[in-house]
Amino acid sequence: MGVTKEQVESTLTSKLNPSHLEVIDTSGGCGASFAIEIVSEQFEGKRLLERHRLVNAALEEEMKQIHALSIKKAVTPEQWKQQQESEKSNPAA
Amino acid sequence: MNSQISSLASVLSFHHFSMATNTINLSALYTSTSLRVLSSNSPQNAPSLSFYSHFKPSVQLPSISYKPYGNTIRHSSLFVVTAVKTLSETELVDVPLTAEEFNSKFPSETGVYAVYDKNLELQFVGISRNIAASVIAHLKSVPELCSSVKVGVVDEPDRAALTQAWKSWMEEHIQATGKVPPGNESGNTSWVRQPPKKKKPDLRLTPGRNVQLTVPLDELIDKLVKENKVVAFIKGSRSAPMCGFSQRVVGILESEGIDYESVDVLDEEYNYGLRETLKKYSNWPTFPQIFVNGELVGGCDILSSMYEKGCSISSI
Repeated sequence: MGVTKEQVESTLTSKLNPSHLEVIDTSGGCGASFAIEIVSEQFEGKRLLERHRLVNAALEEEMKQIHALSIKKAVTPEQWKQQQESEKSNPAA
Repeated sequence: MNSQISSLASVLSFHHFSMATNTINLSALYTSTSLRVLSSNSPQNAPSLSFYSHFKPSVQLPSISYKPYGNTIRHSSLFVVTAVKTLSETELVDVPLTAEEFNSKFPSETGVYAVYDKNLELQFVGISRNIAASVIAHLKSVPELCSSVKVGVVDEPDRAALTQAWKSWMEEHIQATGKVPPGNESGNTSWVRQPPKKKKPDLRLTPGRNVQLTVPLDELIDKLVKENKVVAFIKGSRSAPMCGFSQRVVGILESEGIDYESVDVLDEEYNYGLRETLKKYSNWPTFPQIFVNGELVGGCDILSSMYEKGCSISSI
């Protein structure tokens, strides 16, 4: 049961062409829950809700077996760059 | 417990055991425990009752020792069990005007404190895990009543020790003046945080699963989210969410003070079929789901990230 982190990664990579992707299995290995950070140009001009919808739609098949999907970040490359820079200049944040 | 203590107070009020501990066996009240009663020699006739009734049945007695704040004389280290000094013995500290002074004058520690107005009338006796922070909070909400403060730090504070310290101060004041500090009267809400309002009941979409619906479920959902400003579809009830994400959503909404409606998607009796219908209605695969003004805002992640960014959810 469940899906693997690799499956989630490959599906998201093929459908959303992310420039950065991090999938963390938060279920302790059983593949029921994941946390995702994803950076994709496809998020440009879309609200957070729509971005989450894109991710959810991409993972439609997998979602049937995933109990919880936590999208930590769904940002555009531009936003990602800004966030990385602000983290660098302010490591405490 | 309360009545026991007040009856104890009347029994013990005229005993002064100066600089010595005295053990009174109160096995009638507390089975197989002994109560150490210590009464310091108070200048007034006010009864000073300081005892500790939280027992571990071991040789080692729990200790509460009083730390006089801003006062170098540390007395009563002889005693195994001492409570906070009596109210009348405690030094009155003027409330400073600046925040910097605050931290030097008041401890960020746990204990009991008494707030006086400018006429030296006792207004309120409180317990706090951070006395300095509590006094600052009072100063903000009722500045005209906060002129000076007495502080008694309780070491190794457990709930019982704190309650005890608070009781002894309250009793002392009541014995001396015959009245309860106005801020401690029930119904006075200027000093204590108002008890949380009774939680709303969760909304139900249908009158029961065996009742034939005259309107399709998705229309009921549509009506519900459009008629209520904020609706959270959660797993479990709002008072006992059954999943961590729903819990977080309820927590955020409540901490923002948002007036919202909740619907338990796990309620198979009154919301039968809701999960599947709602997923289709909102085109969103998971729960919780939060609607504002009839529109899906998102799930827990979206709400959390909005909350962290400081977006006011009610302003959407």
